[in-house]
Amino acid sequence: MTWRIVTPLALLAALAMTAAATAQETAPPSGQELFQQRCAACHGEQGWATRVLARRVPAGQGALENRDLLPAALVRLAVRRGIGSMPPIRRTELSDADLAAIATYLEDRP
Amino acid sequence: MRTITAGQLERALAAFATVVGQQWVIADAEGRDGYRDAMAPRDPASYRPLAAVAPANVEEVQAVIRLAGEHGVPLWPVSRCKNFGYGGAAPRHPDVVMLDLVRLNRILEVDVAQGYVVLEPGVGFDDLFHHLRDNNIPLWMSAPAHTWGSVVGNALERGVGYTPYGEHASKICGLEVVTGEGRLLRTGMGAMAGSKAWHTFPYGFGPAWDTAFMQSNFGVVTKMGLWLMPEPAQTLNLGMRLARPEDLPAAVDALRPLKLDGTVAANPSFGNAIRGLATRAPRATYWQGTGPMPQSVIDAATAQADMGYWNFSVRLFGDPEINAINAGKVRRAFDGLLGAEPEESTWNRGDELRGSGHPVPSLAALGVVDWLGGSGGHITFSPVSAFSGDEAWRQYTTVRAMFEEAGFDYYGGFTAGQRYLNHITMILFDRAQPDMLERANRLFSALIATAAQNGWGEYRTHTQWYDEVAQTYAWGDNELLRWNQAVKDAVDPKGVIAPGKMGIWPRVDREGGA
Repeated sequence: MTWRIVTPLALLAALAMTAAATAQETAPPSGQELFQQRCAACHGEQGWATRVLARRVPAGQGALENRDLLPAALVRLAVRRGIGSMPPIRRTELSDADLAAIATYLEDRP
Repeated sequence: MRTITAGQLERALAAFATVVGQQWVIADAEGRDGYRDAMAPRDPASYRPLAAVAPANVEEVQAVIRLAGEHGVPLWPVSRCKNFGYGGAAPRHPDVVMLDLVRLNRILEVDVAQGYVVLEPGVGFDDLFHHLRDNNIPLWMSAPAHTWGSVVGNALERGVGYTPYGEHASKICGLEVVTGEGRLLRTGMGAMAGSKAWHTFPYGFGPAWDTAFMQSNFGVVTKMGLWLMPEPAQTLNLGMRLARPEDLPAAVDALRPLKLDGTVAANPSFGNAIRGLATRAPRATYWQGTGPMPQSVIDAATAQADMGYWNFSVRLFGDPEINAINAGKVRRAFDGLLGAEPEESTWNRGDELRGSGHPVPSLAALGVVDWLGGSGGHITFSPVSAFSGDEAWRQYTTVRAMFEEAGFDYYGGFTAGQRYLNHITMILFDRAQPDMLERANRLFSALIATAAQNGWGEYRTHTQWYDEVAQTYAWGDNELLRWNQAVKDAVDPKGVIAPGKMGIWPRVDREGGA
């Protein structure tokens, strides 16, 4: 049995930690879905970055999805330039559009 | 080192844009900084590349390499750039354009019957994991401690994992390579049109070249065959610990015959207490003092965490009946050496994968950079050791003493290959403390020199120290380096690909005073 794959994987870059979009899907993933795929391995409830940030932000807000206030511009800068122990994420591995969707989700999240 | 003028660069980038499109030529400051080594003890500006170009397919890679040669602009190929302790994306020298291969991200073929996969360099371990699992493909991958990186890049850099296929470089079979002149080469059986054995017979006819493209700047690999392991019926894990540092030599000698005769096919790793503690919490959780943690504090912390000083697992992969026999052999070999009874657990085909020994996507291992609680960084010093208790002990005591004299905690472990040990250590530091960075840099160079005096060479190193390590492989009046330079000059006469990689500089840079 042989699989031959000719379409690019949607899961390519950095933090794809959950089964998610495949090339067959047509609708682009939402900001929330992208956050889960690309960020949650470090910034989810159990991620080590959450442990780090918990020492620096108000109680209970170490996980990015728990922040009372997280401006999209700050997310964008942190991702592209890196911050603290976080390395920069290149636009070849996370597109500007996907980053904008993630940042908007974290800013607007109810 | 050659000089690249502004006009030369501008013309090269314009030419690249005609191939890949303007959006995939990156020349702005933020984009260039994206190729920073986020973990290194040095100023990012000292190795900021001139620009980056990101082709989407092999034809574009060929065209970019040809154009780079025409314009005299060297390229530094990268894939996912997640080998942080070894330099990440950063080039050896800043006067290069990054050749970013992350858009070549296809899993081209999975052959279950023959047990291999064919990948492009942008495919990550997490991508391969999901592809295999989502399609119920009964093949297991091997991965290093975190799964962010490139499968191809890791194997070509001779990274290691923890299944029986954990010596990744040895599982490479058949490459497609773009040469320094932009031509396309297939190694081994791939050189024969119509061969069905490209990814199963590693040698082909005449000299075999797969290994020459590992840790190398002789070409740019655009496709790689990699053997994957058939899913086992069962895995049986024996979690073990050694109470004291001085228990290491006997355990190493106990493991060696089990590796040599194949009883243990995977790569057990003796990890020290700091390695175990650092993934759990920052150092201040255990101690608030300065300088290296005293042994008494380490002992108290490991007792509280229910760990030994050295902790390791021997995992057996195969049929339950055979695993049971081999588990008995392992228990007998370590009888009387351990700090506690082995903790045995099994995974059977059909169970949830976590705990099986098959890697699952995780970045938890990166959390060790939080050890000092600041802007964490690390560099990895990884000498090879003979598979001998005496030699491992000499290396451990020498390296630990040097770490501690420089004010760092010794973080390390010995990962067992079939006939060698990889002694993988990390200097963990806070990048916000200049004094610590200076000490880390000094320590790294001192480790290279001291190791060489003892006949210990690194199996891989950080970009910044390529030349220093290359110069320790100097037997016969540097004949190996001379050979590598001769090959480089022959196959990449314009010195386009990764100048200075592993200390191999092309003639154009050697004569320019590299």
